[in-house]
Amino acid sequence: MHKRWIEISVGLMLVAGVVALLSLALQVSGGHLTRSADRYPIAALFENAAGLAPKAQVTLAGVTVGEVVAVVIDPQTLMAKVQMQINGEVNYLSIDSSASILTAGLLGEKYVGLTVGAEDEVLVAGDMIEDTQSALVLEELIGQFLLNLGDSN
Amino acid sequence: MAVNGIIEIHNLSFFRGKRAIFKDIDVSIAAGKITAIMGPSGTGKTTLLRLIGGQLQPHQGEVQLFGKNIAQLNRRQLNQLRSRMGVLFQSGALFTDLTVFENVAFPLREHTQLNDQQLHDRVLLKLEAVGLRGARELMPSHLSGGMARRVALARAVALEPEIILYDEPFSGQDPIAMAVLQRLIKDLNDEMQLTSVLVSHDIAEACAIADRVILLGEGRVLAHDTPEALQTSPDPAVRQFMHGEADGVIPFHFPAPPLAAELLCDNASVADKQGGLL
Amino acid sequence: MINLVAALGEQLLQRLALMGQALLMLLQSLKVLPGKHGIARLTQQLYVVGVQSLIIMLVSALFIGMVLGLQGYTLLSAYGSEQAVGQMVALTLVRELSPVVAALLFAGRAGSALTAEIGLMKATEQLASLEMFGVDPLHRIVAPRFLAGLICLPLLVAIFSLVGIYGGYIVAVDWLGVYSGSYWGNMQQAVDFGEDVVNGMIKALVFAFVVSWIALYQGYSCVPTSQGISTATTRTVVYSSLAILGFDFILTALMFGGA
Repeated sequence: MHKRWIEISVGLMLVAGVVALLSLALQVSGGHLTRSADRYPIAALFENAAGLAPKAQVTLAGVTVGEVVAVVIDPQTLMAKVQMQINGEVNYLSIDSSASILTAGLLGEKYVGLTVGAEDEVLVAGDMIEDTQSALVLEELIGQFLLNLGDSN
Repeated sequence: MAVNGIIEIHNLSFFRGKRAIFKDIDVSIAAGKITAIMGPSGTGKTTLLRLIGGQLQPHQGEVQLFGKNIAQLNRRQLNQLRSRMGVLFQSGALFTDLTVFENVAFPLREHTQLNDQQLHDRVLLKLEAVGLRGARELMPSHLSGGMARRVALARAVALEPEIILYDEPFSGQDPIAMAVLQRLIKDLNDEMQLTSVLVSHDIAEACAIADRVILLGEGRVLAHDTPEALQTSPDPAVRQFMHGEADGVIPFHFPAPPLAAELLCDNASVADKQGGLL
Repeated sequence: MINLVAALGEQLLQRLALMGQALLMLLQSLKVLPGKHGIARLTQQLYVVGVQSLIIMLVSALFIGMVLGLQGYTLLSAYGSEQAVGQMVALTLVRELSPVVAALLFAGRAGSALTAEIGLMKATEQLASLEMFGVDPLHRIVAPRFLAGLICLPLLVAIFSLVGIYGGYIVAVDWLGVYSGSYWGNMQQAVDFGEDVVNGMIKALVFAFVVSWIALYQGYSCVPTSQGISTATTRTVVYSSLAILGFDFILTALMFGGA
């Protein structure tokens, strides 16, 4: 009887441990492991990528479709080159798509928002998005606002 | 060299740190007899048992069991030899997580291929021999000291060994338990044609059943004879031990520098030592 | 001066010899795994080492998760980002707190018990008696306990993380009113299985190895008296705790420091 209880409780513990590990994989980390397998890289050049960091979201119409992998300087143009990984099933980004760096809320995280253009041809792995809009830098914005305020007076 | 004893010890020396427990001793233990190894506490009686069991390696000399030098055996051969030898440890050393039955069954499960029925019968016979068949479902923690030792004895003889080593079988037992153990040791020895080696400092009990007595002291074999001969031995050290005299040639003091030298040393260092203690 | 150098050298050699002994004990015990009735013995030890540590793990995990939820909420709400409390709780637990706290509890609960048990077996001559029956105590006693520790701690750490995250959920969502969707959503966004969960598990495995090894060696090599056992038990807890924290720093630097 006692021995039976030992075996049952050990079995329960093993199951609980495996279930916990599975939940950590699926619920807590959102199954990132499975998704990262099927992705393709694209890049975009921005005048200014202030505040954008690796692992930031890439969205299309507010839906996450990928993430930023790296933000580096392009030595030829001296612009910020943002490298992204886009989920494989999102295979309908036209080559004239545009990318802008947006902010979640007033002080929130920076992310990349994509807008699809009109062309039939789509972006494939390694392509570059031409049409970009840089990050809003709050300090510049406030400076401009104050300048305008001074002008109108 | 003629090997006549079942256990032969030649030129054995053993040290603990720098202190010599044994200095070049020779012991021969005859088959089929009860041999008592006696001596004052701290003379390495238990160490000698461990050396015979191969749990300790001598620093010099050799131990032969059944005519084989145990230092030259590999692990498997040593274990093979050990299965022909039973040991009754001082504390009984029953496995605390097993029942009495399982404790006695342990060596059988390890070394034999008996089926469940044979195993069951054999264990019950051994328990019957020590009078504890009724206690087979108890855990060792529920046994009295004397009962635990009897279970340990049943376990030690479960494999029907040729040699059995007893480590202080009588210490801490009440007179009845002592008498029971004495009779068991004697009966087992006679019925199973065992060679029994028992380590003890209970002179009367050990002498009552022993055929031969080996008296150890100061790292040497002081005497090896029959109990009767030792009782009347003229050797002062033997006399002192056999008759339990406080004063005699066996020193009462642990080895130390002369008393006068220590008493006359400067007081500061003594105060230091006491300060350290408190 | 020469004496001092000699004494230091002697000390060093002594330490090296101890480490060597501990390594030999480990290798000896791992040379032959389960064998006859091995699974039953392993199950027994999984029960002692794992199941019996479960309650303390669950309770600690729940409270630690709740505290993290509470602290995270007050801290993050100062920046208006209290919706990110989920990812904070999850990352803190998965990467750091679960392995470390679970391992510390494990050392205190299971490690000390292992040391005391084996020390007592030595004191009551059970180990010597096994040897005389031709059974190597390293295989019979030490190996299943070591293996059980190695299996249990990672599982306990996974359970710890999950329970802690639900503890945080209770406080943040049920009590403080964070939106449930953003609790999980932000968490899933931030936590990476390969980088965070797996690294946490690697830590757990390393800690399990270290704690079990220390506990078993201390028990196996203790002076077989009541005082010797109590000293060995204390040492297990102290050495294990120091080793856990030290290894945690090294592992964290290796895993997350380079990025």
